[in-house]
Amino acid sequence: MAEVREKGYHHWEGQLREKGPVFWPITRTGIKLAFQRKRFKFLFALSFIPAISFAVGVYVSERLEDFKFMAQGAEKTLQVNPGFFKTYLSQDFIFFMILLLMALGGAGLIADDFRHKAIQLYFARPLTRLDYLLGKAGVVAFFVGLLTLVPAVVLFLLKLLFSGSFKFFLDYPWLLLSIIFYSAFLMVFFTCYILLASSLSKNRNFVIALIFAVYYLSEIVRGISYVIFRSPYSTLLSIMGNLQQVAAGVFQVRPAQDVPWYLSLLVLSVFCLLALIFLRRKLRGVEVIR
Amino acid sequence: MSIELQNIHYSYGQVKALNGVSLSIGGGATGLLGPNGAGKSTLIKIMLGFLTPAEGQGKVLGYDVRNEQKFIRRLVGYMPEDECFIPGLDAVTFTALMGELSGLPRQEAMKRAHEVLFYVGLGESRYRLVDTYSSGMKQRLKLAQALVHDPKLLFLDEPTSSLDPTGRQEILELIGEVASSKDIRVLLSSHILADIELICDRVVIINKGEIAASGRIEDLKMKNYQLYELRVKGQLNGFRQELEQAGCRVEETEDRLVKIYTPPDFDRRRIFQSAARNGVQVRQFVCSQTSLEDLFARVVGVD
Repeated sequence: MAEVREKGYHHWEGQLREKGPVFWPITRTGIKLAFQRKRFKFLFALSFIPAISFAVGVYVSERLEDFKFMAQGAEKTLQVNPGFFKTYLSQDFIFFMILLLMALGGAGLIADDFRHKAIQLYFARPLTRLDYLLGKAGVVAFFVGLLTLVPAVVLFLLKLLFSGSFKFFLDYPWLLLSIIFYSAFLMVFFTCYILLASSLSKNRNFVIALIFAVYYLSEIVRGISYVIFRSPYSTLLSIMGNLQQVAAGVFQVRPAQDVPWYLSLLVLSVFCLLALIFLRRKLRGVEVIR
Repeated sequence: MSIELQNIHYSYGQVKALNGVSLSIGGGATGLLGPNGAGKSTLIKIMLGFLTPAEGQGKVLGYDVRNEQKFIRRLVGYMPEDECFIPGLDAVTFTALMGELSGLPRQEAMKRAHEVLFYVGLGESRYRLVDTYSSGMKQRLKLAQALVHDPKLLFLDEPTSSLDPTGRQEILELIGEVASSKDIRVLLSSHILADIELICDRVVIINKGEIAASGRIEDLKMKNYQLYELRVKGQLNGFRQELEQAGCRVEETEDRLVKIYTPPDFDRRRIFQSAARNGVQVRQFVCSQTSLEDLFARVVGVD
């Protein structure tokens, strides 16, 4: 039978944990806080519309004879191949929804801690700066993974299920790895991007504006550069353009621009590296006690 | 000993922040006093393992301040001066999160969070968002998060700042109880000398990066100076001048009460001899109680 105790302060008899994922409580709290926002829940549900449409597409592609009366000439458009997965994972809508969800649920990840001086509470505990960053990164990676990796793997499995054979898998044995690699790449990139933005200001609204402004300004700069130089390499200036180029490379389809995809991978990787260096410096400068 | 530091040196570039600090702090409550820029914060940072001393050795709760910072922070509770919280969380979730980050298992952290919130007087409002708390409630919450993992040592930084007199009294009572009956050692850094005098039995006064005084408050008061209160008749100028030349501090209150602070080992008969020489009649002579404020002013060298 449980001990009945008076209210008040009691010493704890147990042993404090010395090993294990220290960052997980931070990630869990971040995810919980994101879901506390009503608009977030609605947008989160909305962001699965493409996944549902693509799932219907996979089903229809296997039942073309049944749907002939509805989908005339769908044989060409409804081909489930690496390009199908590339389209799903690099469509503008998915990127937009990632930005929108992270603007709502991720903008305050570091900004709010700076604003409400919560960082000193974290670092006064047995927590390193890396643990803190991993905890915050986990929140972004979780949502990006839910919008990219999970639906893409499910679409892949649905294709196998509806076709009733492993032919698709044997035709493209590398495809599952490509899905995992590109989704992981998106998780890393958006994590760095959102955390960098969130660490630049204490004002959550400013961070939200920054997240969208940098993303779409890079697209505008690409457009202007292309008009001036008429060079396909202008695409290296655009975040969206680079993400789509990398997707084309990873899924072995023809890229939209005649630029080697590894250059886009390099540009985005350098961006992530610089973001991590900045974050490390920013957190190293945090004064826990003044 | 909960804290033992030996010959700690630390510099920010050319500026020496700590210059050969050695101290040992045992149980109970200890006050950390010093003017701005004296080195208090640097000392706490070193004790929590945020800064590595350039020279010297130190142990907090038996763990080395150079190599075992994580172990120190696991056993230490820290209550910052600033108003700090995680927006969007209720008090119990916030406190449990802090417990979990200190190493408590999740369920145990939640259980302890409920307990300490009741203990600090936030039991009824523990499901309210911390954003909606008043300053006093936030102060209690900071104490709760510092206590949740059952620390062996508490660092309290200005725990009564931004509190009204009632709130201040309540939080001081809590800290006093934690220090006296819960077997948790407390290091209290505060500018409010009355708080330290009320809670702590020991004090460390730090000035210009060096320990100016350290020990039991009562002992220090006796050791560093004596205060005598006199009622006199006659011209004070010569009397005052002579005593000041002998190293005393002489103050006269509005109601003509003369306070004389004498240096250690000062023979009080010299006061009477000086009075006689200057034609001053001593009508009342009381050996008075000195305050921590007087002690602080004396060892730091300010009025």
